[in-house]
Amino acid sequence: MPNNIVSIRDVVKEYRLDKVVVPALRGVSLEVERGEFISIAGPSGSGKTTMLNLIGCVDTATRGVVEVAGQNTGTLSERQLTQLRLDTLGFIFQSFNLVAVLTVYQNVELPLLLQNKLGGAERKKRVMELLAAVGIDTHAKHRPSELSGGQRQRVAIARALVTEPSIVLADEPTANLDSATGEAIIDLMKDLNQKKGTTFIFSTHDHRVMKHADSVVRLADGKIIGKESADAAVQHALQSAVDKAPAPAAS
Amino acid sequence: MTPRQVLVWIFFWPVLLFVAAPRWVPFMARMVLDMLTKVTVWRVAFLNLLQHRRRLMVLGSSVAFVTIIMMTLLGIAEAMNRTLVESSTTLMSGHVNVSGFYKVTAGQAAPVVTRYKNVVDVIKKTVPEHTYIVQRGRGWAKIISDSGTNKMFGLTGIDVKSETGLASVLKIKEGKIEALEKPGTIMLFEDQARDLEVKVGDGLTIQAPTPRGVNNTLDVTVVAIAQNMGMMSQFSSFINEKSLRQLYQLNDDATGALQVYMPTTDLAVLRKTQDKLREALTAGGYLMMEEDPRAFFFKFENVTREAWTGQKLDITNWKDEVNFVAWTVDLMNFLSFFIAIVFMGVVGVGIMIVMWISIRERTREIGTLRAIGMQRPMVCATFLAEGSLLGLTSTVAGAVLAVGLAAIINGANITLPPGFQFILMSDHLNVFPTVLWTVVAVGFITSVITAISLIPSAIAAQLKPVTAMQHVG
Repeated sequence: MPNNIVSIRDVVKEYRLDKVVVPALRGVSLEVERGEFISIAGPSGSGKTTMLNLIGCVDTATRGVVEVAGQNTGTLSERQLTQLRLDTLGFIFQSFNLVAVLTVYQNVELPLLLQNKLGGAERKKRVMELLAAVGIDTHAKHRPSELSGGQRQRVAIARALVTEPSIVLADEPTANLDSATGEAIIDLMKDLNQKKGTTFIFSTHDHRVMKHADSVVRLADGKIIGKESADAAVQHALQSAVDKAPAPAAS
Repeated sequence: MTPRQVLVWIFFWPVLLFVAAPRWVPFMARMVLDMLTKVTVWRVAFLNLLQHRRRLMVLGSSVAFVTIIMMTLLGIAEAMNRTLVESSTTLMSGHVNVSGFYKVTAGQAAPVVTRYKNVVDVIKKTVPEHTYIVQRGRGWAKIISDSGTNKMFGLTGIDVKSETGLASVLKIKEGKIEALEKPGTIMLFEDQARDLEVKVGDGLTIQAPTPRGVNNTLDVTVVAIAQNMGMMSQFSSFINEKSLRQLYQLNDDATGALQVYMPTTDLAVLRKTQDKLREALTAGGYLMMEEDPRAFFFKFENVTREAWTGQKLDITNWKDEVNFVAWTVDLMNFLSFFIAIVFMGVVGVGIMIVMWISIRERTREIGTLRAIGMQRPMVCATFLAEGSLLGLTSTVAGAVLAVGLAAIINGANITLPPGFQFILMSDHLNVFPTVLWTVVAVGFITSVITAISLIPSAIAAQLKPVTAMQHVG
């Protein structure tokens, strides 16, 4: 089994807005190993979400090769891509994206129902174990609208992990949370990464989140400008924040 | 339009869709499979409907309203049909009739069955399941009143003592039907009496050609005037059986028609009985007329044009004998569906707009579902299930209300204006929503709503997950 779970080579992604072509990624290459807890960092518009969308098979590259779990996504049909997402990938979104009409339990159970591999009893056991693992089992019968932001994100994490995917992609998972809840969510993700060996790839521009990563891929203007340790990335992020701060007014 | 035809249409339109767009066949097949096997599809659809209760109420009320309209119209058509069956099988026909024409010369035809008792024997042997057999004289004559007014009517010669069914169906407004027992008597319907300017006790002269082509006349007295029974009472009048024989100079062993009453009015069963009788009578040496599903008085022209002479027998059912009025029931059925389709068109536009709004509101949810692994046919199935559920719940509610409304209308005993009495064949408004028509109405409207939901559902399913997830609003 190859150790690289994600392999991106010379990927270009362009969006067409009428007659204007807007480049989102300009020839990026990246290898992610199994079990890595990796962060993609960069300012807004740097291409973080686009890169996650390509890895998550919800979008396709204009040029280049994206391989996920050994499969070249460019050669797969829409149906095969959907099946790959169901079996191999888990998603955690910035705005949680839970199905409003379903309960916490039903939201988490949904991917298992789509897979149709487990029986009712096994499914229930799996869902309840995960809800307990993310500390939300007491709210199983609640609707998402009855939960706080942090609780909703815990549900989203449980939903992402319920099919035991090889990779979990998280797009700014703490952006809509206060710092303490954000820290707790990242700790939870890290814990699950270590216990289950699931690969986590998450985008962020928050240095407090970044510091938990094994490594940080830094993006700017659609290009990878470096892959470095979390400490180095945090230093970069802090320096960048200082550089952007306005100069004190002269007295 | 029969319930069976509508049911065929309900199940046939998806096939038409498949034929029209073969590229979509695998998609549709998977979608149908998802709808049949995935509980999630119905759970999400049901919960979404519940979530938007106000929308459900507005749309559901509109659909229920269309169902009530459709079922009430179909109920009126059914009442017409029942009246038609009841009155036709009383006034002018049995469930199956063995009648015929006797021609002395090629150009002279009389609606007569000679030596009818032998024919009765064949019928009894061939159709042992019959309830009873009645023989009636038939004629088509000019009736002239003392005031000089005249009209052409169908004449039915009856033995009133053996006609128990007739007395229970007719509503006598003046005189007594039992008086028809006496020779030289006639019973008319209200409009006929009015047109001829006669009342009970007045005299009339009947003029008709005998089978030998000689015109004969007979004086009769009006002994009863019955309430109109819609269109059919315009054509029928009843006279004493012996008087009819006298008018047409017929022997005692000749009659107009043998009316066979069966345990059922189902036309499919009756047609089989007709075939059996045709076969048995042919084997018995009788000459048979070509099948012609019309009342006997419409056949004169053809029969007199044909070269044969002697006796030929004709076999019809009750529907054939009232074909000239049965179209009103078919028209009513057609109108019910036409009006329902027009209303459904209006409601359908509303449903489609609401589905669009729902899809716009849930675009991010569609993107999420697609991202976490829901295939396109299942997304489509979820929205389609929502449309089907809306249709089913609303039509069932509408059907229940329509049955209640029918009970109220029937209980209120609403008298119809004369024009409506003529068309609806009854003096009162009756609504009979049958179980079969209820199932058909519910199935028809639900299938139309499902079909309407298909377009927005298919478009929702085609959304790219990344586009849907980035949707704002």
